Amino acid sequence: MGAFIIPDHLNASQPPERRGIRRDHVRLMTLDRETGFISHGSFFDLGKQLKTGDLLVLNSSRTVPAVINGNWKRTTLSDLSLSTSIEIRLARYLDDYQWEALLLTAGVELGDVLEFAPDFYAEVIDEHGQGPFRRLKFNVGGTSLFERIYQCGHPVRYEYIHEPWSLDYYQTVFATNPGSVEMPSAGRAFSWEMLLKLQRQGVRLAYIQLHTGLSYLMDDIVKLSPDQNFEAYSVPEATAALIHKTKAERGRIIAVGTTVVRALESALDANGSCTAYHGETNLYITRGLQLQVVDGLITGFHEPEASHLDMLTAFVAPEYLYRSYEEAIQSSYLWHEFGDMQLIL
Amino acid sequence: MNSDNSTRQTIMITGASRGLGAALTLAFAAQGANLAICARHGDELQRVKEQAEHLGAEVLAVVANVAEPRDVERFIASVEFQFGAIDVLINNASILGPSPMPFLLDYPEEDFANVLKVNTLGPFLVTRRVIVGMLQRGKGSVINVTSEAGHTGYAGWGAYGISKFGLEGMTETWADEVSDTEVRVNMVDPGEMNTRMHELAVPNCDYQLAEPKDILDVFLYLASEKSIAVNGQRFQAQDFSA
Repeated sequence: MGAFIIPDHLNASQPPERRGIRRDHVRLMTLDRETGFISHGSFFDLGKQLKTGDLLVLNSSRTVPAVINGNWKRTTLSDLSLSTSIEIRLARYLDDYQWEALLLTAGVELGDVLEFAPDFYAEVIDEHGQGPFRRLKFNVGGTSLFERIYQCGHPVRYEYIHEPWSLDYYQTVFATNPGSVEMPSAGRAFSWEMLLKLQRQGVRLAYIQLHTGLSYLMDDIVKLSPDQNFEAYSVPEATAALIHKTKAERGRIIAVGTTVVRALESALDANGSCTAYHGETNLYITRGLQLQVVDGLITGFHEPEASHLDMLTAFVAPEYLYRSYEEAIQSSYLWHEFGDMQLIL
Repeated sequence: MNSDNSTRQTIMITGASRGLGAALTLAFAAQGANLAICARHGDELQRVKEQAEHLGAEVLAVVANVAEPRDVERFIASVEFQFGAIDVLINNASILGPSPMPFLLDYPEEDFANVLKVNTLGPFLVTRRVIVGMLQRGKGSVINVTSEAGHTGYAGWGAYGISKFGLEGMTETWADEVSDTEVRVNMVDPGEMNTRMHELAVPNCDYQLAEPKDILDVFLYLASEKSIAVNGQRFQAQDFSA
């Protein structure tokens, strides 16, 4: 990806609602996949770019409060105990009692205990492996663990965020299935008013769930390559059926977010056709991969190093993409989860 | 991530530890539904949970205050984790405020705000969170518990009546917003019942009161497929016949 620098003032540090506009009134840049033609408008007018019979596919995964602070404890044979504060970021649900997590303090060892409340703690149950994550086993499981995470946790907030926005700001209006550790942010600009209006216009809606993992690991910790990044996802029967119907009627499949692209391009049958599926994916989409299902993409503006950008080059020639990013900077589009949107179609 | 392996209906009831909420929980448990219940009072909620389980229901009970956004998110996320989807939401939780109820002329500011928070903001927070899943699945019923005092203003019904006026307006607004969908939003005035809240509202009541368990037919109706085309309506539980 070509180098570019996002000026500080283009990092959206506030949700649109706190910048004085509705969530659905952010800007929309439309980039033509074939010609590279760029047009500018309001996200609220997305319907003008869509046709009757098109299908929007949304990720309904809901953001969980993945940051938990606690005390790091170790009791050695000599009964020497250590206690210091530590921040963990849940990265991936494993089972009723276990999560993978990023620990923001070095030196944590197998058997160490992280205590979040007197009756809520987790033990580190793996040796430090190749990846940046550690496996934690909590003392409570299932729904009770979920409840405790919600009691103690906070949303992941990155360095360009200066205020502790509550979890509600990190949700799309259609999020229902909790499990993402970062908001699937491409859907954030949608309002129900828009979705219902689009439906009246003849645009179909369908949902998948893909629970996002952590995309950004702290600078000093090993980077995760995209094919190491496993995410749980589900493409329901009804969605697969709508995709088939839309394709048969020559409508376009438009993914809202790269998570949706990942899910839909993973859930393929032997003929390369979309199928209902529930499982995990480590599919890495990049230039050269022939997209089987998705025709268009609604997405935010990504950092230069983000693997998301590689994925965008599966949709559009890199030179068109770079030019659109240059224009976005010149036109003061806002970046990241609270920022403006791009439609590549 | 959830254990949605059941074809049972999942019914969510707020304020389920006492009175109408507890009676609704047991009635739906007897019908074989999964129950997701919350209340601020843990011990009483636990007792209702055990009674419902005794009737064969799977019950998730969470101590939560519907006026607190974090509690609402924690409650509903836990329900989605356990049951996967919510078919029916009954916004029943409410508080009366100071008892005996003072005139608005005399109403303490903090109590007024608190009653509106629980009785009006609470149903907004819970409904906004739950209705999303209903819209996606193309089915669902929201039932708001209102009051005669939310329909006509009476001296001495203070913030409670005003909060229910808000709830009635909210019901109509929401019903209109989702009128093109298969989701329905209605409200029920249960009438005067023999509950602890009624005792606080009308101390030393000297007339006959209905028992909560005897006025549940309208709720069962609104939770059922029979009411699929009913949206934005106000029902009086004690006048209802199926």
